[in-house]
Amino acid sequence: MGALGHFLEREGIPTVGISLVREHTETVRPPRALWVTFDLGRPLGIPDDPPFQRRVVKAALDLLARTDGPIIVDYPEFVTEEADFTGWACPINLAPTEVDTLAAEIDRLAAWYDRASATNGRTTVGVSGLDMPAAGMLVTQALDGELPAAQALKEAVDDLKAYYLEAASAFPDPGTAKTRKEWFWSETRLAAALLALQPKLAASSDPQHRILGNLTLIPATERHRVDRS
Amino acid sequence: MVKRLDEMPEVEANHLRRIECPTYDDTPLLPGKPLAERRVAIISTAGLHRRGDRPFRPGDGSYRVIPEQTPANELVMSHISVNFDRTGFQQDLNVAFPIDRLRELVADDTVGSMASVHYSFMGAFPPEAAQPHAKHLAGLLKADKVDAALLVPV
Repeated sequence: MGALGHFLEREGIPTVGISLVREHTETVRPPRALWVTFDLGRPLGIPDDPPFQRRVVKAALDLLARTDGPIIVDYPEFVTEEADFTGWACPINLAPTEVDTLAAEIDRLAAWYDRASATNGRTTVGVSGLDMPAAGMLVTQALDGELPAAQALKEAVDDLKAYYLEAASAFPDPGTAKTRKEWFWSETRLAAALLALQPKLAASSDPQHRILGNLTLIPATERHRVDRS
Repeated sequence: MVKRLDEMPEVEANHLRRIECPTYDDTPLLPGKPLAERRVAIISTAGLHRRGDRPFRPGDGSYRVIPEQTPANELVMSHISVNFDRTGFQQDLNVAFPIDRLRELVADDTVGSMASVHYSFMGAFPPEAAQPHAKHLAGLLKADKVDAALLVPV
């Protein structure tokens, strides 16, 4: 990100950037940066809080007046973590049965996904161009047979993850984003399939499969589950 | 609340420490007009694009075009990294791409105007892969009379 500040400013476009990792910004030294302490993925801080987001944008844009750089200014507001009720359990019974399949799990979530899309007025599913049963089929085929092209598999998996987490946000008791991610990684058949798929990808002779298996399938914070699965 | 690397959970901090960041010679900061007279573009590195546009791939230093009137429901994310939260973006586009906040700041005359087109890169690019695209992009921004870029990471 910081590199873009250099590239654009040198071409005559004044820039200001939000910084999420101060140490990276201190190394890259872009012209102007506003450092925020928010979670990675949430550079404006809080979803659905326009006044908060507006203050961040304004604070960043105000730095355009500065010509004494490179500068890193610390943003003064913080986000307190969402209340995390320990013991939260997914209110929808997704427990697998003997005859359960990934396809059945995907199908069970459809009503909740539809509800989430209607509530939000949007969905972020739709990178792969596949419908969710087809995306699930690709994962199943990857586990049981030949690995498909890494890019196609990555896009299908990203769509499925978005589908699951959007669906979970519409559960009657949705918990917090953190508890929903915990639910995804510890309770769903999809996550179990991804954890089982990881060693197969990592052992592939195709370097794109290895990138997917080693870096872009399982978050660093969930990697400990691979060894257990 | 996230903080400095040594205050983060170890797994997350170690991942971030492994990301190579080059140091550049200082770039002189350009002077400009007051904010109320500037035309601002958002440049995201969240790997955003319209549904149906080419998804990003590993090593991809190119950008995707996001016209100002793009409906929120058309924007998807194909960032290759899995090491950041996506649920915020799923809930509210603006927490990663503050297009409506910029629109409001223009409406209340805090900002002069907004670009007719905004852009997104996918932040896991090697800088040398993005440099030629950024140079090209600067020309497009100037053609749109943009004189300020808000760079938003993910």
